[in-house]
Amino acid sequence: MEQAAIRPLKRRAKWNRTEFWMLLPSVIVLAAITIFPFFFMIYASFMDYRLDMDHPRFAGLENWQNTLTDETFWQSWGRTVVYAGGGLILQLLLGTGIALLLYHIPKFRNLFSTLVMLPVFVAPIVTGLLWRFLLDPTYGFYHWIVRQLGFDVQILGDPNFAMLAVIFMDVWEWTPLVTLIVLAGLQTVPEEPLEAADVDGANAWQKIFLVMLPMIRRMIVVALLIRSMDILRYVDTIVITTEGGPADATKTIGYYLMQVAFRFQDIGSAAAVGLTMLVVSTLMGRFFIKVLKAEEA
Amino acid sequence: MTRSWFTKLSVLVMACVLVLSACSSGGSSKSGNADGANVSGNNAGGSDQSGGSGNSGGGSSSGSTDDPFGGWIEGLPKIEAPEGFDWRQFEGITLNVITENTPPSSGLAAHIDVFEQATGIKVNIEQVNLDIVVEKAGLDFNARNANYHIIYADPYQILAKQAQHFVDLNELNNDPTLPSIPGGLEDFIQSQLIVGGYMGNTDHLYALPYDNPTMILAYRKDVFEKYKDLFMQEKGYDWTPGPEMTWDQYYEIAEWINRKAKEGVITEVKYGTGHQAKQHDSLMNDFSNVLASFGGDYFEAPNIGDIGAENPGKSKLTEPEAIEAAEFYAKLLSIAAPGSTTWDWTGLAEAFAAGEIALAPEWHEFAGMFEDPSKSRVAGKVSWTILPKGPKGRGNMYGGTSIGINKYASEDEIRAAWLFLIWATAPQTQYMILDAGFTPTRYSVYQLPYIQTAINDPNSQEFKEWPLAASLAAAQEAWKEENVYMRPKTPLWPQIDTIIYTELSKMLAGRQSPADTMKEIAKQSDRLTGN
Repeated sequence: MEQAAIRPLKRRAKWNRTEFWMLLPSVIVLAAITIFPFFFMIYASFMDYRLDMDHPRFAGLENWQNTLTDETFWQSWGRTVVYAGGGLILQLLLGTGIALLLYHIPKFRNLFSTLVMLPVFVAPIVTGLLWRFLLDPTYGFYHWIVRQLGFDVQILGDPNFAMLAVIFMDVWEWTPLVTLIVLAGLQTVPEEPLEAADVDGANAWQKIFLVMLPMIRRMIVVALLIRSMDILRYVDTIVITTEGGPADATKTIGYYLMQVAFRFQDIGSAAAVGLTMLVVSTLMGRFFIKVLKAEEA
Repeated sequence: MTRSWFTKLSVLVMACVLVLSACSSGGSSKSGNADGANVSGNNAGGSDQSGGSGNSGGGSSSGSTDDPFGGWIEGLPKIEAPEGFDWRQFEGITLNVITENTPPSSGLAAHIDVFEQATGIKVNIEQVNLDIVVEKAGLDFNARNANYHIIYADPYQILAKQAQHFVDLNELNNDPTLPSIPGGLEDFIQSQLIVGGYMGNTDHLYALPYDNPTMILAYRKDVFEKYKDLFMQEKGYDWTPGPEMTWDQYYEIAEWINRKAKEGVITEVKYGTGHQAKQHDSLMNDFSNVLASFGGDYFEAPNIGDIGAENPGKSKLTEPEAIEAAEFYAKLLSIAAPGSTTWDWTGLAEAFAAGEIALAPEWHEFAGMFEDPSKSRVAGKVSWTILPKGPKGRGNMYGGTSIGINKYASEDEIRAAWLFLIWATAPQTQYMILDAGFTPTRYSVYQLPYIQTAINDPNSQEFKEWPLAASLAAAQEAWKEENVYMRPKTPLWPQIDTIIYTELSKMLAGRQSPADTMKEIAKQSDRLTGN
């Protein structure tokens, strides 16, 4: 009886050693590309470390103090909340709406899905260039339309519109991803609850809000998780279209980080800013994972 | 049997044909390259005929010991080497050059085979945006690497803070075993040599002048000629832009054109003036023209605009001249083409080329684009002059850059890179790449009859051949000490520049007054520089 209990344990220990050696290369690669940079960032955030220096010097909490007392840092976070919040809400609403539409159009669904997905395949830099050309005051097609409607607005040159414009660009590019995830969720909804709702006399809206959406909540949370982690660090379209302006109206935390790291070449301060982004991303990720776990329970 | 012999004979004939054609194509490719090297020589010959200087044509010294590059013409200093110097001693070395995508880089890249064939040195020219040059050079220097042997040394973003990572070119220039700079350092435009070559003092020479874009005024001569009398009737003076124009007149003219365009009187343009006022380095440049002409400046340290200073001293932007300049600039931008706040220099140039605006303070190198009918609706309709004067003088922003050698390269690489610098900045090379839209940085090139004719006679063939000729008379005027403005050269300039254009952008958006803007820039700059 005892022997029988020990044998599987021994086999398991042996298997673990094999598993360990098989996983080791991946762990080493992972350590090189994520764990080392993470610890290096922590190290750099405590150093006076600029690219024009001969050797980094220990700076204690100076970078952190400078970063956390910098008005631009907090203003950039404020704009990031608007950019990310606005973008995520719109993407969720539009993405779910389009997914429901596609779900209810069985004919040509694949064709429409492919067409809807096209913006996701465009590189973010190209998205920025595309919108810059479309909104250009000299030869931009959309700018021309706006002018024909009687509004002489400089969409990218007016602080009141520039943020809306960059949110819209993000929505244009990434709503299809949310659509795809939600559509995949909708296709897993079983027929029985919908038939039961029909029998109970539910109308189309009631079926959507009371049956379908609650059943795909997990997929919606996954879509939010992916996009929220992404949107925090997303700067490509901002770099191409507004460069953080006008009047700093589109300077998000990602753009601010890029400016500190590459324009000012202040690696120490950039590391401190980057770590704050990492903390916020992690907290957001944890929040959504918690929601997912609550859904599972 | 006969058939077999016939087959063998056919194969033999075909093989001979192939071998001969290979030899012939090899020969023609070589001669093709030689022709390529002599393009400027032939061009020079042609131009000299028209200019009447009567030289023997380019390539007269091609293949000589002293000058293996060809393209030298009468009137230019020669590339010379010490007796018995072996130009091919560094054969097999590969040099990496990182540079902004500017006209000289394109011109050199197009003619790089001239250098490679003469020296056996392979050159890779990487052309990228300036911020990428700054980043890659910074990474190289920080790691003590020489991934890039030759670096586009922007005086404000690279040289000011990283001069110690460049080779002192005086040592190479004075080395008796190496060729020295043809025509000597005195052949470079001196103000450009000082701002682009030195940092803090003139003991060490870090880089040689490579390009020299300068802000001057582009205007639509067709509009100014057509409505000259009408403006004269209403305002009582000749409105043709020129050295006597003041910023107040500029404002009045721009406003008048806006009004007449709205009334439908003027149909050629929509707006009087356009500016590069996006939240970008371009906004600082555009504002600096006005600031300097009002007698203002950014910092108090002496020589900060030429040799440069580690500590720029206290900000001068709280002085009345600076505040007055900011007030005028805000007023001017309030009547500028509405797109101005979205335009950097390229956006402004595109709007001007599209025929949107009549007046634009712009970098003179855009003259080539304006005169290119495939890119511009205003080709043949553009004239240039220096920027208007203000109450205390004039400011034409200078934006030139030099090239230097990474000191972490090996000794052979450094000496090979020196040969490249000698060739790349030589007068004959500058002359060769004029057609790429290049502006020479050498006095001697400007003295050539071809250049003189091109600059001074808008009806000449030379003028038509050289894309930049239209703007160069004004650019040369702008380089005079009393007209040029050179921004502060100090290690923290990228941060200060960012503060300046960000706060100016807030001012143009109506978020703060001109006076508050100047005070805010001064406050932030002083905090940053510790003054």
